[in-house]
Amino acid sequence: MTAPLVMRGVGKRYRRRWALRDCTLAIPERAIVGLAGANGAGKSTLLGLTVGLLAPTEGSLEVLGRDPRLEPEVLAGVGFVAREAPLYRSFTVGDTIRFARATNPGWDASVAGEFLTRLSAGDRVSALTAGERSRLALAVALGKRPRLVLLDEPFERLDPLAAREFLQLLMDGVSELEATVVIASHVIADIERVSDHIVLLGDGQVRLEGSAEELISTHRLLTGAARPLGRIAGVEEIVRKRSSGRQMTLLVRIDGRVVDPSWSVDEIGLEDLLLAYMAPERLPGPEAPEKGRLRWHG
Amino acid sequence: MAWVTWRQHRHQLLIGLALIVALALAALVTGLPMQTAYEREALSSCLPPAARSGCDIIVRHFQSEYGGRVDVAGYLILLPALVGMFIGAPLLARELEHGTHRFAWTQSLTRRRWLLSKTLLLALAVTLGAVILSAIVMWWRHPFDGLEGRMSPGGFEIQGVVVPAYALFALSLGVLAGAALRRSLAAMSLTLAVFVAVRLAVAELLRPRYRSPEHETMAGLVPGAHARDWVLSNSLVDAVGRHITSAREDLAILHAQQARIDPQEYLLSLGWRRALSFQPADRFWTFQLIEAGIFVALAAALLAVTVWFVRRSPS
Repeated sequence: MTAPLVMRGVGKRYRRRWALRDCTLAIPERAIVGLAGANGAGKSTLLGLTVGLLAPTEGSLEVLGRDPRLEPEVLAGVGFVAREAPLYRSFTVGDTIRFARATNPGWDASVAGEFLTRLSAGDRVSALTAGERSRLALAVALGKRPRLVLLDEPFERLDPLAAREFLQLLMDGVSELEATVVIASHVIADIERVSDHIVLLGDGQVRLEGSAEELISTHRLLTGAARPLGRIAGVEEIVRKRSSGRQMTLLVRIDGRVVDPSWSVDEIGLEDLLLAYMAPERLPGPEAPEKGRLRWHG
Repeated sequence: MAWVTWRQHRHQLLIGLALIVALALAALVTGLPMQTAYEREALSSCLPPAARSGCDIIVRHFQSEYGGRVDVAGYLILLPALVGMFIGAPLLARELEHGTHRFAWTQSLTRRRWLLSKTLLLALAVTLGAVILSAIVMWWRHPFDGLEGRMSPGGFEIQGVVVPAYALFALSLGVLAGAALRRSLAAMSLTLAVFVAVRLAVAELLRPRYRSPEHETMAGLVPGAHARDWVLSNSLVDAVGRHITSAREDLAILHAQQARIDPQEYLLSLGWRRALSFQPADRFWTFQLIEAGIFVALAAALLAVTVWFVRRSPS
């Protein structure tokens, strides 16, 4: 089984600015991938490249084993919901489904139907709520029975309840289709809930990639007295350093066990880990870390 | 894709249909009295070069009675431009403006097929409409074509096969402008500007040269001799064929008037003659086919550029 999405040194430049640079990754089959990153980190660019809406400036990519720019037919196996779920506003729900049927030879009405239970065919798209609209867009994306599903900021305009409902529908749908899913979001909490694989982008580069367990098991928080830092046994790299008063907290990547008794070693949750990677190297204004669960953000 | 195209463009297509129906009715209402008068006054026996007595009065009367309508019909040259502006330009620009191309182009159909099916289906509808319109005009203008011919731009450009060709060109141009500018309004303006420029350039620079014009030099102006031809130039030449400027002509006429001689006679006595160059009326269909060929070829080329552009442009 090949990876449904492979990128090798992919870069995309808009005029002078690189939106994505030197991006190398392989998404495992049937994974639920959280594509995290701050606004402007390159998430939409990465998805745009994957569906062939954009052409890479450098590097090469394979979607379901093929280059989406050279063989756009591969898009039949990719379900994509762009940011803000663009649909034809003047269409009704029925028109939209008919459009999807007309433009997708492999259309499966029964898959799409599950998302449309509470929508009536005569409703205009422009009159739908954000949640209903997202469901309709998802119905179109999954009704073509894709092997790879890409969602760009799907929760952005949804209230928490609608977001949860959307996520539930999505998970039911993809488990039935046995599809791989990539969810791009800047809200880490959304991603953390469902993802078993993480790709973190920052300033157009891949900062972190791996399965959730792998990432958690290779990172630790070290807390101890402030001191000049040298090598710590078992630590591969110090990712972030934060001192408050006489105490110091380190986020480290480990390659063994940290046994140094002068550090207290804690596991870090996925959400905190991602936020720590997204945060700038030096955080302004030291704060005392909370007891028990250490946080890296405000 | 037929349903998709219909669903997305039904407003434009229905408005187009309504326009054709309205024009057909207008043609019927204004055309029938014209045809009746034509029959009643037996104008067919007055067509040039016939010189039945009294014909000049009959013809002049007919022309002054109905000439205004023919002038109004001249505005029909704008219709192809409207096709480009209101059907062609928004085709891609509206998708790009609203971001819906991210929806449309990520379904299973490749965007090349999406673009080609939509454009070609619309082209078919536009061609059909334009052919109907052209046929209506040909029936309506028929009495005037007999008198004045249809070789001059006023008649040539609103009938025959050039009408669908202009419309296809405008459609293609609009689609490309929309792809390049990504804004409906800007694309519509550009479409109008380029369409007018190309149409004028072809009419002024190319059409007179599709076939080499015929020349004729004659003593005086015979009224009606070339009424149905497209006269490209009409000037005075002296006995050895040199061109006489209008200033000199005016001076000579003034001179004759002062001397109380008939100016026409006087110019003849100087050995001055009238030189015409013209495209004869019987070249109408040849010219129609050449001009239609040019615009259909341009339309095809623009469509090819659009397909290439849409394939490679970032979205």
